[in-house]
Amino acid sequence: MWEYITFGLIVQLFVNGILFGTMYGIAAIGLSLVFGTMRIIFLAQGTMIIFMAYICYWIFTLMGIDPYLSLVIIVPLSLLLGIGLYHILFREAAGLEDKNISLLIAVGLMFLMENLITVIWTANPRFIETSYTSFAFRPMGINISVTRLNGLIMALLSTAGVLLFLKKTMIGMAVRAASEDMISATLVGISPHRVNAVAFAIGIGLAGVAGVGLATIYPFDPYYGFIFALKAIISLAIGGIGSVVGALLGGILLGLIESLASFFFSGGWSDAISFAVFLIVLMFKPEGLFVRSINKA
Amino acid sequence: MENHLLEVKGIDVLYGDVQAVWDVSIHVEEEKIVALVGANGAGKTTLLKTISGITPAKKGEILFQGNSIAKLKPQEVVDIGISHVPEGRRLFSSLTVLENLKLGAYPSRARPLMANSLERAFSLFPLLKNRKDQKAGSLSGGEQQMLAIGRALMAHPVLLMLDEPSLGLSPIFVRTIFELISTLNAQKITILLVEQNINQALKIAHQAYVLKTGKIAMNGSGDELLADPEVQRAYIGKRWSKS
Amino acid sequence: MEDKRSILISVLVVIAFACVPFVLDVDKSYFVFFLFLSFCYVTITQAWNLVGGYTGQISLGQHAFFGLGAYTTAIIWLRDITKTGYFFDPVTMILSGLVPVVLAIIVGIPLLHRLKGDYFAIGTLGVGEIIKVLFVKGGSFTGASDGLHLPSTVFESMKPYYWTGLFLAIFSTVVVYFLIRSRIGLALRAIREDETSAASHGVHVLKYKVFAFAVGAFLTGLAGSLYAYYLFHINPDAVLKLNWTLYPVLMCVIGGTGRIMGPVIGAFFMNGVFFLTDIYFVEINPIMAGLLIIIVMRFMPGGLIGLKDMIMSRK
Ligand SMILES: Nc1ncnc2c1ncn2[C@@H]1O[C@H](COP(=O)(O)OP(=O)(O)O)[C@@H](O)[C@H]1O
Ligand SMILES: [Mg+2]
Repeated sequence: MWEYITFGLIVQLFVNGILFGTMYGIAAIGLSLVFGTMRIIFLAQGTMIIFMAYICYWIFTLMGIDPYLSLVIIVPLSLLLGIGLYHILFREAAGLEDKNISLLIAVGLMFLMENLITVIWTANPRFIETSYTSFAFRPMGINISVTRLNGLIMALLSTAGVLLFLKKTMIGMAVRAASEDMISATLVGISPHRVNAVAFAIGIGLAGVAGVGLATIYPFDPYYGFIFALKAIISLAIGGIGSVVGALLGGILLGLIESLASFFFSGGWSDAISFAVFLIVLMFKPEGLFVRSINKA
Repeated sequence: MENHLLEVKGIDVLYGDVQAVWDVSIHVEEEKIVALVGANGAGKTTLLKTISGITPAKKGEILFQGNSIAKLKPQEVVDIGISHVPEGRRLFSSLTVLENLKLGAYPSRARPLMANSLERAFSLFPLLKNRKDQKAGSLSGGEQQMLAIGRALMAHPVLLMLDEPSLGLSPIFVRTIFELISTLNAQKITILLVEQNINQALKIAHQAYVLKTGKIAMNGSGDELLADPEVQRAYIGKRWSKS
Repeated sequence: MEDKRSILISVLVVIAFACVPFVLDVDKSYFVFFLFLSFCYVTITQAWNLVGGYTGQISLGQHAFFGLGAYTTAIIWLRDITKTGYFFDPVTMILSGLVPVVLAIIVGIPLLHRLKGDYFAIGTLGVGEIIKVLFVKGGSFTGASDGLHLPSTVFESMKPYYWTGLFLAIFSTVVVYFLIRSRIGLALRAIREDETSAASHGVHVLKYKVFAFAVGAFLTGLAGSLYAYYLFHINPDAVLKLNWTLYPVLMCVIGGTGRIMGPVIGAFFMNGVFFLTDIYFVEINPIMAGLLIIIVMRFMPGGLIGLKDMIMSRK
């Protein structure tokens, strides 16, 4: 196999990895925000992404609306869904000392959504095929598919959007403050439910973006969501919890590792390698690779 | 009838099964400085946390401007004009000084006044103005305490509760803090002050309570307590260990 | 007295269960199959309860232990390593419990030492997935993704399965019960409540955590072994699927975590729901499980056993 490896091929593997890794990255940003205020890993994140991918698929097949155009429906929809889910499912549990309850509600939600999707759309893999799906740019012989490139652009734009929101708005600052110290946040007048709901809304909103990105790049089925959530968790651990840019970079690094691993080892190993990287990071650099320091008391 | 801004009537507070505050009643008159003193573990912090809604009381009543606030959540208590500067300051250390201050004006009542409040905070604490884009966690202890008080003032409180503001500060900062408390009080802000620096606290307090293992052991004017031989013997003239 | 009465009731219930095969036609009755599977679930849920409920270490890697137990039985039997190639051979079953113990100690020491809370949960999940890949890629030794076919493919009767299952369910419950009442149990609960304070009271935190993790692995491995005897065809999809972790977690939580009867109630209840919905609402069956978890966690976070407490305290 080694004789086939050319410089161009390696670059191609890097490009593929980086482009797809951004999808993990935005999923991880969502997880990071929810973890920040609620201190739970929202295991249903991947399934929400898949759900949004199906919604995108539906809008595309039933109404013929272009997947990227459908973002104007999907993003507001997912923001609202996030707020709704928080208030219906997590509001009570968020105040409890025992975080496992919120975690298990998330697991229940994942089960529910997975199977709901299966009932509605069946378990067959779906894929959105548009006129430009197979189109690719070829700078210097490297194949950059337009859908993957769009995924990257969407990921960068939404990351920038989230950063601006967290930095420039009062409620965004409140989310950051609450992630650091919820009690102190309530003492300046911040309502925990408000920031939790906002974090959730953004998390699911990002799931909407990732769902569209995924649906245009990759075939998906209902059970892919769980694997996707695991990948997002790995990205988060690599990047470091609490850093938006770290989460994105973690996702990109994971995308790279997977891309290289699935080329150099046969397919089945790539998940095991991702997990091994994850365990190694957890063991030796639990604060993540991209977080410079944690200034927590 | 006296002019009680805050009335705490017979509250019991428990952590799980362990009772920390027993049948405590205090009142705070408008525009006064009231000190709450006592040894480590006496329940001073708990009492403030109960007033601000962090640890609700099991029994008893809390009235602020005549309205019951015992059932309010912390964010609602800030809204009606009680700001609590907690023990250990608890700043948002990864946020900048400016962001911490802005968040102080989070209550809807305070938000429209933000620009003026910021100006006031910076004139009160010129040190902070130079460091406004620095992370709060990178400030010195004294600067952090000023930021914590500045953040609380951004909400325009009627009653300001300070939990051990001088703890761990250098003597210069301790003096600054006590002067600041008097200055704020002169601006008609009522102060409820928890201190282990009992001598100084009693000197500036109009009224004071001594808490002992969760119960009120003594009360009186600051000067009375300062002159009390029991207080002298038990609390003053001895160095207090840090909590 | 309360204790004596519960013991008496438990003994009576056990005797009643043990007599079921004399009353119902074991080989045709769907109900007996339901009970058999419930016993398996009680065993692994009780194991999880020890680790997650009493010690407070949320492990999401139990499917690795279950699968390892199943594979150990299959490999020993196929290669006739112990020269005891018959059903429910105690030597094989115990070895199938011990192999997971070895894994639990090897991965438990670093994981339990370095990782806490959610991180430990996700870390164990990672280990579980890695083990799965190892079995899929294990070549002829593990039969790769097709798995292993056991030499015998018929069994005369469901009866021995039923009784072995019942025995394992009781065994795991008794083991956890006595462990918890011993000094070890005291240490485990101290660790769950406050690790730092447990350590300051002289509890060797890591040692006890690894011990609980290993005992949990042993019990789970036993259940895996029984399941291997039942399946005949062992493959990664069947014995290493994540459900072998998720179901016990759900059953434990729904029954009541950190309570000795929690896993029993949870396992029977959830398995009952699975069976009933499978019969009556085939298409939406899996939805019910998710919905139920949400409802229980949302409205009675103490689990079903907590419901009893809630009613009692109202009086
Ligand atoms: N979060 C808590 N959980 C349990 N007990 C607490 C907690 N906080 C304080 N206590 C207990 O309550 C009592 C009063 O504590 P505190 O109010 O902090 O006293 P002070 O501020 O006067 O030093 C002490 O015995 C302390 O151990
Ligand atoms: Mg205190």
